[in-house]
Amino acid sequence: MLVTKQLAELCSLLIDELYGELPSRIFATLVNRGRSSLPQLVQHTAMTPRQLKHGLAVLLQYNLLYYSIDPDTELAIYEANIEFAYNLIRTGKILEMVEGSFGAPAKDVMQNLLLLGQTRVSDLYQAYAKKIEQATKAVIDDDPFELETNGVNGDAHQPKKLDIPIKSMGQLNSVICRLVEAELIDVVHSRTFQTPQDIYKAVEQQVSDSHFPGGVKGGKAKIEFQEKVAEGLRKVRAESKSLKRKLDQNVSAVKRRKLLNGLGVANGVHDEDGGDPALDPKQVIRINYEKCLVDLRNRRLVQFATDMFGETTAYVYGVLLKILTKKLPRCRLDPVMDLAEDNDEVHGPGFVTMDEILDNLKTGIDLSLGLGKVEKGGVSTTAAEKVEEQPPKKKLFVEEAEVDGDASADEDDGGDDSSSSGDSESETEYKPATNGTKVTFADTATKEIRLDRPGQLRQHLLLLSESDQRFARHCGPQEWTVDFIPLVRVLAQAELDTVIERTSGRQGLRLVRILRAKGKLDEKALPNVALMRKPEVQQKMLEMQTAGFVHVQEVPRDNKADVKKSFFLWFSDVNRSFDRLLDTSYNTMLRCIQVLERLRQKEKEVLMLTKRTDVKGRERDVMRKEYFERYSRFRENEKKLFAQVMRLDDVVAVLRDF
Amino acid sequence: MAPASGEDATAKIQILKDALYEEARQHGSESRLFSQADLQDLGVVPANDVMLLLKVIQALTDDKLFVACQGAALAWRWRSREEAKKYTSLNDETMMVYSVIDEAGADGIWNRTIKHRLNMHEAVVKNCIKTLETKGYIVSMKNVEHPNKKMYIKANLRPSDRATGGPWFTGGELDSAFIEELQNIVFEYIKTHSAYLGSQGGRIVAGGAGGISSSGGGALKVPKKVIRGTAPTSTTTSEAADAASRGVKRAAIEISNDVEGVTTNGVGSHHPAEAAGSKGSASAVAGSRASKNKVYLPFPAGYKLYPTVSEIAKFIHNTGITNNTTLGEADIQQLVDVLTFDGLVEPIKVNSRKGYRVVRPTKQDTVPYAKRMKEREEGIGLGLDMPLRTGAKPLSNGLTEAPCGRCPVADMCEEGGPVSPNNCVYFLQWLGLEERGSGQAQLVPPSTS
Repeated sequence: MLVTKQLAELCSLLIDELYGELPSRIFATLVNRGRSSLPQLVQHTAMTPRQLKHGLAVLLQYNLLYYSIDPDTELAIYEANIEFAYNLIRTGKILEMVEGSFGAPAKDVMQNLLLLGQTRVSDLYQAYAKKIEQATKAVIDDDPFELETNGVNGDAHQPKKLDIPIKSMGQLNSVICRLVEAELIDVVHSRTFQTPQDIYKAVEQQVSDSHFPGGVKGGKAKIEFQEKVAEGLRKVRAESKSLKRKLDQNVSAVKRRKLLNGLGVANGVHDEDGGDPALDPKQVIRINYEKCLVDLRNRRLVQFATDMFGETTAYVYGVLLKILTKKLPRCRLDPVMDLAEDNDEVHGPGFVTMDEILDNLKTGIDLSLGLGKVEKGGVSTTAAEKVEEQPPKKKLFVEEAEVDGDASADEDDGGDDSSSSGDSESETEYKPATNGTKVTFADTATKEIRLDRPGQLRQHLLLLSESDQRFARHCGPQEWTVDFIPLVRVLAQAELDTVIERTSGRQGLRLVRILRAKGKLDEKALPNVALMRKPEVQQKMLEMQTAGFVHVQEVPRDNKADVKKSFFLWFSDVNRSFDRLLDTSYNTMLRCIQVLERLRQKEKEVLMLTKRTDVKGRERDVMRKEYFERYSRFRENEKKLFAQVMRLDDVVAVLRDF
Repeated sequence: MAPASGEDATAKIQILKDALYEEARQHGSESRLFSQADLQDLGVVPANDVMLLLKVIQALTDDKLFVACQGAALAWRWRSREEAKKYTSLNDETMMVYSVIDEAGADGIWNRTIKHRLNMHEAVVKNCIKTLETKGYIVSMKNVEHPNKKMYIKANLRPSDRATGGPWFTGGELDSAFIEELQNIVFEYIKTHSAYLGSQGGRIVAGGAGGISSSGGGALKVPKKVIRGTAPTSTTTSEAADAASRGVKRAAIEISNDVEGVTTNGVGSHHPAEAAGSKGSASAVAGSRASKNKVYLPFPAGYKLYPTVSEIAKFIHNTGITNNTTLGEADIQQLVDVLTFDGLVEPIKVNSRKGYRVVRPTKQDTVPYAKRMKEREEGIGLGLDMPLRTGAKPLSNGLTEAPCGRCPVADMCEEGGPVSPNNCVYFLQWLGLEERGSGQAQLVPPSTS
């Protein structure tokens, strides 16, 4: 992740917001100065080692730091973990996602994990034991986990519900197991706090020591060396999944089936069988943001599909994505680790069969909704049922596609190719079936095509794969997959288009899309294509150039390079626009938080009042009316601004992380 | 050949002249070039007498009935008698100017080009042009490519498409009102022909805006069985049963309100800002405005009848909206391309047929465009304060909603600078902390309910 000034500022502000000023200042220093040791930090921050140690402990607790210990001096060197700092924004989203997929108890556990940072399992047990005890005694007390957050905004107290989501220790155990199995929680191990670069170097060193003592010579050896390094790195990465592996071995067949459905497992108290193994109490667990991102991406894509086709189709799409990404550990593949071909994880998302989707659809969903009716013969089955075994190869996606997508997909299809003749046979088998049903319906003088449920489902899936955005790919007769890399790119482009349309109007969007379609275009040619007046075009183009949506290139006609005679070629570099957009997004997030800070300054006296212990929790009764109004207005604005920051994160996620 | 007397020769040439002229007219249009051989082969001049032919041609050229042209070799083309009369009625200078304008044809010619070409004094050219204009032989015209140049064209010619800019220009100006109207009509045509206007989905829209609809979950088991049971052996009753069942079934959105599932509503409601924001309310408004909760639905994949450009062109032609301009398929293609670039329609290829369909069909206005226009003229209906726009409301994201995304001075904004988050008026406005400017619908923040 490229760390820009805005991003660095944003991250330190976020830490300030959540964990207070001390960690925030240390974090900012670490970001600005690079990796530093404690004495260096003392020098840069003008704080005492004691203070610094406190702050560093907090940062470490929340995984916001990397550290390594110099073997010679035995001095710890710290480095900021920008990615995790940024992920703090996504807290709310992740919780909501977990609640949606695993129910309220899982959300509660996740929330506590987020609040506590990495936690030993036994600590979590203890805390819950206490909580359950308290609840059973019906004592209404403050949440024991409520962290004392940064002063003024630490007023997030709500009247506590009597019934707590986790009702027994067995349930807690089972919830944690589910989350571990879903990879949303993973294990903290010895190398968690090493920077990726350090790990890379160490692995490299190790490989060259053990396998290439004489140095790496020749092309073949180099490739082999790379593969060995990738393998080593993967091993390190897999360490955090140790708990999951252990669970997988333990899990009974029944559990496995339930897990496959992913539905209704932890939805209520009904499922508390002791099938789950007790977790090692010394194990330290934390949230796995990589996997969370995969799920968040699914949600975003479903939302995108809703915008394009409507709810029913999007629902089907959601189910498809959910099954497809069950085994997908992360959105973007690592260029080093996932390049090697003998890696199981690389093989892309694989595919999902119709039956799997059908099995996971809610029975209450009416699939006949959301699609238009067509008279018999209005649909070309051959065109709709076209099977694309290979992902579309477009030059548009060169960079990413070459790095990971293609290789993996080829791998996939290699297996299919051998049976491709079989595929086509089964396809032909399938087709008469559809035709057959159509004929029967025609006999009954029904004008529209009536379909059974699998047929309806199929229609939704076909619609998704037919679309320009390529939501899905019909990769085999009954098999469906999603090419995430190009799709996310389309999504990012849609975000960009949204911004252009909202800022420069529809005509601006028109011009940009013309340039995207036609490449570089002379200033004189634009008005004709866009059907716009020349001065209007010029004005719009200048406006958009300043906004970074289009770019201009001057090409002199001859050696003299006379400006009057030069050609001016407009073009639109999408990647540049993305970078710019990302930067603007960071900036806007930053401003939102800064404005909030300003509001806090303004309402300082009111907020000071609410911090008093006798006022806290009883603001409405205790405070004067005027004060309370100011207070509630501030709360409203605070909510708005945070919501806005989260919305902005949607844009950032699409551009950067998905 | 025996030498003939002068009078005889003149008479002979006169006869041959008329004969040759008529013969040439028979053999081609005014723009056809006749080489010497061509004229010889017409067989007017006896015995292939080249000298005589030359004399005859010379005489015709003098009468302005023939125009000498320099192609690969010397060649001639004929000119109509009326035109020739015009020429002969002019004095030398005026005639030269007229001939230059004549040569330029339908593209017209710039007065400075005339001056340059003839190497005449400006005043003379001006004078000549004035004479020609008063005689009604030429008129001034405007060229869209060079709107500031004064151009002239023969009075009996219509300026070429290159000069007028094609059907999209009126009087040398891009007729944006005309284009816009036509675009709306084309869009409406594509919209109504590429999406299915159904009433069932209306509940989805209503559900999305309003929440859970009333039908209970218990009712859905029975109708489902009806469908499942009868689908393979479909009878006429199955249709009725199906239709009836559809009425009781739950809309998709309702189910998505349940705890489970990565469903759309969850995404929406996750951000309070968005759920109650502009989009939600917009669809609510659209839903309530639309007659009987109708909504456009996408056609299933492989739909064969998405409108093509030629169909649209035919439609436009048949409606006769453009009675004084003829629009070819290429023109309509241009229009559809613009709609595509606007992100309103998208091309879709089914087999080899390239059709167009509307994007985001479910978000489209179901009230016909003409009715909307009428409503506006009569001043009734919702959303009159906003300009009527083609297609669905544009999408929005976090960036476009926040003031920074539209801030004119965002580049200068910095803590401690003249523009800073500390003194940002746009944010205050957006948060509703300052009253002024709250009338701007765009700046009203999404409420967090």
